[in-house]
Amino acid sequence: MTTSIPAHAVERLKGLRRSAHSTGVFTSDFSVNEFLLVRKAGFEPIGLCVGTCVYHVGIQYGSWKKNQELDVLSAAMYHARELAMSRMRSEATAMGADGIVGVKLTIKRLEWDEHLLEFIALGTGVVHGDGHRGFRAHDGGPFTSDLSGQDFWCLLHSGYRPVEMVMGSCVYHVAHRGMLAGLASVGRNVELENYTSAMYEAREIAVERMQAEASAANAEGVVGVDIHEGSHNWQRHVIEFFAIGTAVLPLAEEIAPEKIADPIMVLSVND
Amino acid sequence: MGLFDIFWKPSPQAAERQAARERRLAEIHASLHNGTVPEAIRTRLEGARAGTLPWTATLTPAELMIARSHGLKPIATVSATCWLHYGWSWTNGHSEGWGMALRRLREEAWAAGANAVLDVKMRTIPLGPAGSMDFSLVGTAVHMQGLPPSDDPIIATVPALEFVKLLEADVVPTGLAVGAHYEWLNDWRRSTTNLRWMGNIEAQQLSALWETVRHHAHAQLRSYARSQGNGVLAHLNFSQMFEREGEGDTKQYLARHIVVATTVDARPGTALPHNIEMVVDMHAGNTPLTGTTSHHQSYGSNEVRGAI
Repeated sequence: MTTSIPAHAVERLKGLRRSAHSTGVFTSDFSVNEFLLVRKAGFEPIGLCVGTCVYHVGIQYGSWKKNQELDVLSAAMYHARELAMSRMRSEATAMGADGIVGVKLTIKRLEWDEHLLEFIALGTGVVHGDGHRGFRAHDGGPFTSDLSGQDFWCLLHSGYRPVEMVMGSCVYHVAHRGMLAGLASVGRNVELENYTSAMYEAREIAVERMQAEASAANAEGVVGVDIHEGSHNWQRHVIEFFAIGTAVLPLAEEIAPEKIADPIMVLSVND
Repeated sequence: MGLFDIFWKPSPQAAERQAARERRLAEIHASLHNGTVPEAIRTRLEGARAGTLPWTATLTPAELMIARSHGLKPIATVSATCWLHYGWSWTNGHSEGWGMALRRLREEAWAAGANAVLDVKMRTIPLGPAGSMDFSLVGTAVHMQGLPPSDDPIIATVPALEFVKLLEADVVPTGLAVGAHYEWLNDWRRSTTNLRWMGNIEAQQLSALWETVRHHAHAQLRSYARSQGNGVLAHLNFSQMFEREGEGDTKQYLARHIVVATTVDARPGTALPHNIEMVVDMHAGNTPLTGTTSHHQSYGSNEVRGAI
């Protein structure tokens, strides 16, 4: 079966270009499938948006035998990510993007200084094909989301739109155990209740902060939540809990559950 | 502040904040000890249940779509941890640790007014002293529209899409089962190491050791699962063997085997009520239909890929 090539594509093949970006060229880090699905969802990419922040994360010592949040470090990790994200977002605003999809937030350590961390936020700015502005975030700026192009299509078809990438961070010092406690537990398996409680508190702080950001963005819910645990080469017993997800709102015309198309069971023959 | 604690005088506000944090930590400790959900978490779960706080879900948008179309509504991300010290047995610690985490997760699900917890992932936090390990579970509590909250919420260690697929086939994933067994072998005559001149020959003692250990682990898996359902799916097999010098001329061997699996309640003979079509997948890399992240990172080797 042959499908005729649309006239527009033929024009492009002849070398005629047109794009939403003022330079006439869009940039993106989409894969082919992602690109096709973002367009299927009614959006066009206009440009890669990037925000960078190199941050000196200082030292904070936790008391040797105490479970406690290292709030200076928490604040630093949070602030650095926020700077990178907001720089990316202002670049998108400058391009006139309605949103950024596929945001990747990464942290790198710089080799020559253990206290320097590089935060990078990178995503593709998109505009609605028909100029619909209802997809913008609560503050009128572009929405941000770490969803891939495929996820973006799925989210719209489940009746939601992305509003903002929300996150919560908590850097926590876990107490060192005293000698006596160590001796008392020889000979049987015992739960280290202090440690368990510390994990509970640290994780709860991170999740609550993420949820507070979602409330501030007037979101209905948060999708794709992940809770990472990481120690960015800090001293032992220091760990960061980092909760991240995409805050969502129902579409203006809400899709009733029974209107969502039933998926078809398939067997992928790719491999 | 560490060493300089004594030189450091906190302001009254800082002291008050510090005191509030310590109260909170003490409350978490006491609640866990008594088998209840800590106050701060309960408040958050109840807020999400009542809709005064945004719902949170580990589900991907594709999973959210199918959850919605099947009447499932996400409530909140729930999690549980048990940090265990192996004073007695590393191997058996795994069934104790996951068991305790599972009980705590069920408590949180109950507090959230959930019918089920989907997408339960096993996590281990890479921190902490030798001789201990933490067992953490994270998942999404959901409410099934039209049903009252459950007294005994289902814990499904499968992603939302698989949960729905199973439900349609009249199979209910119910929880997590663990089988763990270890044994020491004292090889007095070093008969396992003196095989050098024997050519191709089975190391019978070691085979027998593994046979025993694995059979026991699987038998334990079966009895662990029995209280939760009538079958298990998606095994995770993990095994290790160590050799060490014993007294005199003795060699000692330790073999241990751990199996973790999703328990299901299945009615025999019900087939999936859908035709299967062949497609070319539009996805780059792995398909999200089986979940985007690995469902566990607690066991490094010997893993058999499956839902958990």
